[in-house]
Amino acid sequence: MIVVAAVVLPIAVGLGLALAGRSLSRTTAWALALPAALVTLALTGAAVVTDSGVDREWVGMIGLHLALGVDGISAPLLVLTASIGVLVVVLARSHLPEGGSPSLYLGAVLLATGGALATFAARDAILFFVAFELVLIPVWLLIHRFGDPHNEAARKDAGLRFILFTVSGSVLMLIGILTLVGAAGTSQLDELVEAGAGLPVGTQTLIAALLVLGLAVKVPVFPLHTWLPAAHATAPTGGSVILAAILLKMGTYGLVRLPMASVPDGFARIAPLLAVLAVVGIIWAGLVCLVEVDAKRLIAYSSVAHMGFVVLGLASGTVVGLQAALIGNIAHGIISALLFVVIGGLKDRWGAVRFDRPLPALREHAPRLGFVLILGLAATLGLPGLAGFWGELLGIYGAWTSDLGPGLLLKLCAALAAVGAVLAAAYALRVGRLLWVGEADTPVAAVERTETVGAERLVLAVLVVAVVAIGLVPHLVWSVTLADATALLQGTVIGR
Amino acid sequence: MRVAFDWFALTPVLAPALGALLVLTIDAVVPKARMAHLGAALVALGAGAAVAGYGATRSEPLRSLCLEAPDGACLYTADPMAGILQLCALAAAAVVLLMLIGDTWRARAGAAGTRDALRGGPAVTAALVLAATAGATAVVAAQDLGAWLVGLELATLPMIALVALAGRREAVHGALTLLVTSVLSFSLLALGVALWVIATGSSTFATSGLRDAWGVPEQRLVLVTAVLVLLAGLGFKLSLVPFHAWTPTTYAGAALPVTLTLATVSKIAALGALITVVRALASVVQPPTATAVVTAIAGVALVSILLGNLIALRQVDPVRLLAWSAVGQAGWVILPLTALTAAGTDAAAGYLAAYVIATTVAFVVVHLVHGPVDAGAPARARELSHTAGLARNHLVLGSLLILALLSLAGLPPGVIGLIAKIAALQPVVTAGLWPVAVVAVVGAVLGVAVYLRWVTILLGAGRSGGPLQRMPGSRLALLLGGTALVVTSVLPALVFR
Repeated sequence: MIVVAAVVLPIAVGLGLALAGRSLSRTTAWALALPAALVTLALTGAAVVTDSGVDREWVGMIGLHLALGVDGISAPLLVLTASIGVLVVVLARSHLPEGGSPSLYLGAVLLATGGALATFAARDAILFFVAFELVLIPVWLLIHRFGDPHNEAARKDAGLRFILFTVSGSVLMLIGILTLVGAAGTSQLDELVEAGAGLPVGTQTLIAALLVLGLAVKVPVFPLHTWLPAAHATAPTGGSVILAAILLKMGTYGLVRLPMASVPDGFARIAPLLAVLAVVGIIWAGLVCLVEVDAKRLIAYSSVAHMGFVVLGLASGTVVGLQAALIGNIAHGIISALLFVVIGGLKDRWGAVRFDRPLPALREHAPRLGFVLILGLAATLGLPGLAGFWGELLGIYGAWTSDLGPGLLLKLCAALAAVGAVLAAAYALRVGRLLWVGEADTPVAAVERTETVGAERLVLAVLVVAVVAIGLVPHLVWSVTLADATALLQGTVIGR
Repeated sequence: MRVAFDWFALTPVLAPALGALLVLTIDAVVPKARMAHLGAALVALGAGAAVAGYGATRSEPLRSLCLEAPDGACLYTADPMAGILQLCALAAAAVVLLMLIGDTWRARAGAAGTRDALRGGPAVTAALVLAATAGATAVVAAQDLGAWLVGLELATLPMIALVALAGRREAVHGALTLLVTSVLSFSLLALGVALWVIATGSSTFATSGLRDAWGVPEQRLVLVTAVLVLLAGLGFKLSLVPFHAWTPTTYAGAALPVTLTLATVSKIAALGALITVVRALASVVQPPTATAVVTAIAGVALVSILLGNLIALRQVDPVRLLAWSAVGQAGWVILPLTALTAAGTDAAAGYLAAYVIATTVAFVVVHLVHGPVDAGAPARARELSHTAGLARNHLVLGSLLILALLSLAGLPPGVIGLIAKIAALQPVVTAGLWPVAVVAVVGAVLGVAVYLRWVTILLGAGRSGGPLQRMPGSRLALLLGGTALVVTSVLPALVFR
């Protein structure tokens, strides 16, 4: 029951806050949201520790069960989601976007967090889909209502694009889920592992194709990524953090949970194609990052590249690759959250962070913020000792040792991905040069309030500690995921 | 031949029918008792709804009018899903009467200038709505062709009068369109029924004659023709493309509560009729052998979904938007019938129930925002922009309308709409109809665009801040509809058991 409380609490409080609208003052709304987020984090932690679970029939006609539970693969993501929820609420203390009432913003944040928790905790394929959809409207609200106040048209366009892309993907995924459930005769994820693996390879391939196509929109995999830069460029800082750290993870988690675990033979057939697309995405996004002038779009494209490494690890079908994907997921969540807080904060103060005009040098005007930025960029380029290193290195290794696909295809993918990692170093250093080294002669008015303030400091401190901790002790994640990741790949074609 | 009556089981049909008679009698005795009419009608609907609700909770169907063995067929059979549809029809009728009569209940007490939305007085209004409702509840459970056809027409004819009674040029135009459509539809249905009798040699939907007919190629051809003609006839009533042309004209021309009746009670009658046909067919055939029927249903459903949503995307009048979205939703309703299974018909009924609940809330909110229009008075312009900022200015109205629109789009927090979409797709996918499901995905995305466009307006800034008019009946109706929407969104199993 603890896991149910962890899911229901943020949704209930979030709905209440969203409905309260202007009747709550900024402080009251925050004072309600923060305890809710903190208790949710505590409940999530308790659910992970006690291995809490529940299974009850909810809607008979479609065989939908209210089945929630925790295992090694979902546990790190649950903790990440609940923690990001707390951080975004804390950040709202000093950085509250305009566009609507404070309680609506905080309500949408809690609803998105609760929906994502439900997605990661779902033990029923159809419930997974329902929870997947639950996140859409709150995040749409964050982009549409609370996005870039200077450009209404871009905000509306980005919001609509986000929701139409993701709905197309999720309905395709639903058809895949319904086919799988219909063919296997159960919607319980645990039973699907066995029932799905017994299906004929043709059926498995069809199901895997539908599921992968649907989930690839959310990850996003090249060429379905075009909604992401627009969404990130306009979303408020908190919305960007939720998008990058929570929403994209729902896509990769879905890939592990549904096609990979339930229809392994079908997934193995599609995996080479997925690996090629992942590598194209890594290279493509890396090249875009070398010339992109809008800082938030640049971070968004770097997200596409990082998720490419995660997908490459998954597509390798090896335990190492899967482990790399799972830690890459968490690492990208933390690193991108950190970079979005830094860049989003600068955007709030300067109006825009664009590289086609001279920028004040952070190293002089805001040494603390500058340090955090450099740390985030170092983690992005995969520096050893920081969180980004393990996912990239082992993703490439996993692809190199994989025996999937025709000939040397995956080895070639691994080699090209390594080139992509070099591109990451190039664009990270480009950002560092333009933003940290900066230009000497900039108007003083723009830089006076540049240093971190208030809640931002606390949020950045937590994220910095997490980046270093996971970089130094990756076993924090691996020890939790290893048993289930190995079990997931055992006895399947791709595991052999 | 002896027929066994179970009067109790017949209550969902008899109560509104007797209620109509009672209301007319009261009008003859005490002509000006407005509240008595409303009260009598609501009691009749309540009694019917209680039995329909009881029928929905049982595992066995409620049966009546059972023939002697060896035939042993019961001419009135209301299974649980039929009970839910009857319940929805009766509740929707109650909402309509509250809006039509309840808003002006103080008229007799002398409030200046308040007049009815329809000519002919409250008794005629109530009697017509009750009669149409009785027709709808009858056709949902009818198992013989005669009662089926009579029930269907009983559900249609009062609607023409109700549309015309608004007494405006647009209303008369709408009524005329509906009349022509109904005549055309009736002729097709009569032809279809005749062909069915010829093919099966029986005047019921019983399985025995049907199975024999399916076995003989010549008879099978006649039977398939009968089903296709019946589908066309019902297509008019369900507003399916290409039989939908009357919908926007009539929806926009009628008084708004009457439009709501068309969108709920009439749709339930038409779908109930179609379900009876498809279920009879499904009991003897499997999908691969009835390609013509499956192709026809799938084609009509997909074209309706795509065209309805595409045109709804460009509408500025909220009623016309809801009218075109009704075309699209009708496509979703019949989509699961393509599976030709019992699961498919249950899913169609469930989808319709979810649609009826959400659309009721949407119409009541639009009615409350724009205020009542007296009979004969020129219609006021309605625009989506009149609801701009509703979520800020009238929190309850705005939130309920957003919830209703998200339900129609199939996005949480409108969980009931999402479950309905899953339930509609499940039988199609299980039957292996790939292309159908994938085209439906496009329709689902279009639908999201349609309803989010309105939600955007509701959330935006705007001038919908004016005080609402005193409309006690409509407020009560909103309470009823809103409660149903919220409760079923938390417990979708009430509809999809």
